Amino acid sequence: MNLAIKIVFETQEATLMVWRSALGLVRRPFYIRETINQMDIVGVGSLPIAMLAAFFIGAVLALQTASTLQAFGAQNYTGRLVATSLVRELGPVLTCILLAGRIGSGIAAELGSMKVSEQIDAMRALGTDPLRKLVLPRIIALVVMSPTLTVFANVVGTIGGLVISLTLLHIPASVYNTSARDALNYHDIFGGLLKPVVFGFIIAVVGCRCGLRTQGGTVGVGRSTTQSVVMSILLILISDFFLTKLIIALGPTGQF
Amino acid sequence: MSNKNSSNAIIFENILFGFGEQIILNDVSFSVKPGETIVLMGGSGTGKSTTLKLVLGLLKPESGHLFVDGENITDFTESKMMAVRKKIGMIFQEGALFDSLNVFENVGFRLFEQGASENDVEHIVRQMLKFVNLEDAIYKMPSELSGGMRRRVGIARALVGKPKIILYDEPTAGLDPPTARTIIELAMKLRDLEGVSSIFVTHRIQDAQQLASEYVTIDEKGEIVVRKDEKAASSRTKFIMLKQGKVIFSGSGRELWESPDPYIKNFLL
Ligand SMILES: Nc1ncnc2c1ncn2[C@@H]1O[C@H](COP(=O)(O)OP(=O)(O)O)[C@@H](O)[C@H]1O
Ligand SMILES: [Mg+2]
Repeated sequence: MNLAIKIVFETQEATLMVWRSALGLVRRPFYIRETINQMDIVGVGSLPIAMLAAFFIGAVLALQTASTLQAFGAQNYTGRLVATSLVRELGPVLTCILLAGRIGSGIAAELGSMKVSEQIDAMRALGTDPLRKLVLPRIIALVVMSPTLTVFANVVGTIGGLVISLTLLHIPASVYNTSARDALNYHDIFGGLLKPVVFGFIIAVVGCRCGLRTQGGTVGVGRSTTQSVVMSILLILISDFFLTKLIIALGPTGQF
Repeated sequence: MSNKNSSNAIIFENILFGFGEQIILNDVSFSVKPGETIVLMGGSGTGKSTTLKLVLGLLKPESGHLFVDGENITDFTESKMMAVRKKIGMIFQEGALFDSLNVFENVGFRLFEQGASENDVEHIVRQMLKFVNLEDAIYKMPSELSGGMRRRVGIARALVGKPKIILYDEPTAGLDPPTARTIIELAMKLRDLEGVSSIFVTHRIQDAQQLASEYVTIDEKGEIVVRKDEKAASSRTKFIMLKQGKVIFSGSGRELWESPDPYIKNFLL
């Protein structure tokens, strides 16, 4: 099979998977316990690492931008640059790349080993639709938890920038905070929340699809896991470009 | 025609099935009468598991017709198949237990999914585990069980809901002879005491011999006993041999042992 056919085929299969699991939103049975459990794994489980990463990203941003801004005597705009970079780009993208590595790979590995050990078949044989019981709760959990985690990451990242500004750059907290707050508008925040919703959806769909198409024993599980991470990170970066363009087009200036 | 369909548990009618280019089943036809056990034999990779998955609708044939309990399921959608699957219990090759759930949750899976209460489920699960002689393992995780125990839990799980049809996929493969015997005895109990129809996939000749020559009954004292009686066992047991996607033998145990076909002779050595 050549690449183009493969892409079309996989897109079709993934769409069918999402469509058929989405029927589980309107028809019984509802897997509420599974969904809450997944939210716990995705959200609570990833919170410490997402916040730790965000803190250092904010710190590095402050460090990098300050030296450039200093050349123009514009050091006081550090807060503004850190906050806008985080909210618009780095918060959503880096949080979701972490999730792709931590959660997407886990989903692919778990569903993949269930597939090769015939647990998926067994579930169907026992009258339960794996798309509803396994796929839908994971999609919901990632779509809800990715933006939530992103909000935490944005806040902690801004604090990371503040700590560096105070300690190394000697910018007063009030200056940093005012500059950060002035920079943000509703449009940025909307865009910054739309992105992780889409990215979370991508991570869940890619992870589930990679897991469910696994073949060839434990080797196949390893292959699916790797594929899911590479695929979802690529799709996150590609869709980020188009989302950014869309968000700018919808924005107050509306150019580009 | 309709009479024939309703008087059979399972009918394969000219079934063709392939994975991609590779043809697995080529024009396969056979039927399972109610209360009958079909022992399905053949080398590995000849499509025995595939045959069972077709019955469950986990795979769909490319052509031909498939009847289960009088219904033509050939073109059934996934949601229509769910109702048919209630009548079928499947024992997967390696047990296929859900490894995130303990034995109790595995065996009770079907009932939990139907929203039954913990108490009702526990009653039935204990009954099933008693049947496979594994009551002590109720709160163990699958990873703590031996191969034979996993198969027996798989059997208990398949029996919940009293299915009329049971499909066994090499339930004895890789087990020591005494454990294998107990599993065959479970299958005989279901065949002889419960009147279940089944397809029993195996490539162990000992399984075939035991199923063809022994039967289970309840004696005067009300106890379950195994008796050797080829006539009684044979009336409920037929053999089918697959080779390269074709049915090359279909008949009784006696006919199988006496077959002149060199491939079958070689298989029975
Ligand atoms: N999902 C699959 N995709 C492609 N080929 C498969 C798949 N499952 C099984 N096969 C092939 O189909 C053939 C029959 O498999 P199976 O029915 O499992 O054989 P067995 O008689 O050993 O149970 C084998 O050659 C196997 O390689
Ligand atoms: Mg097999």
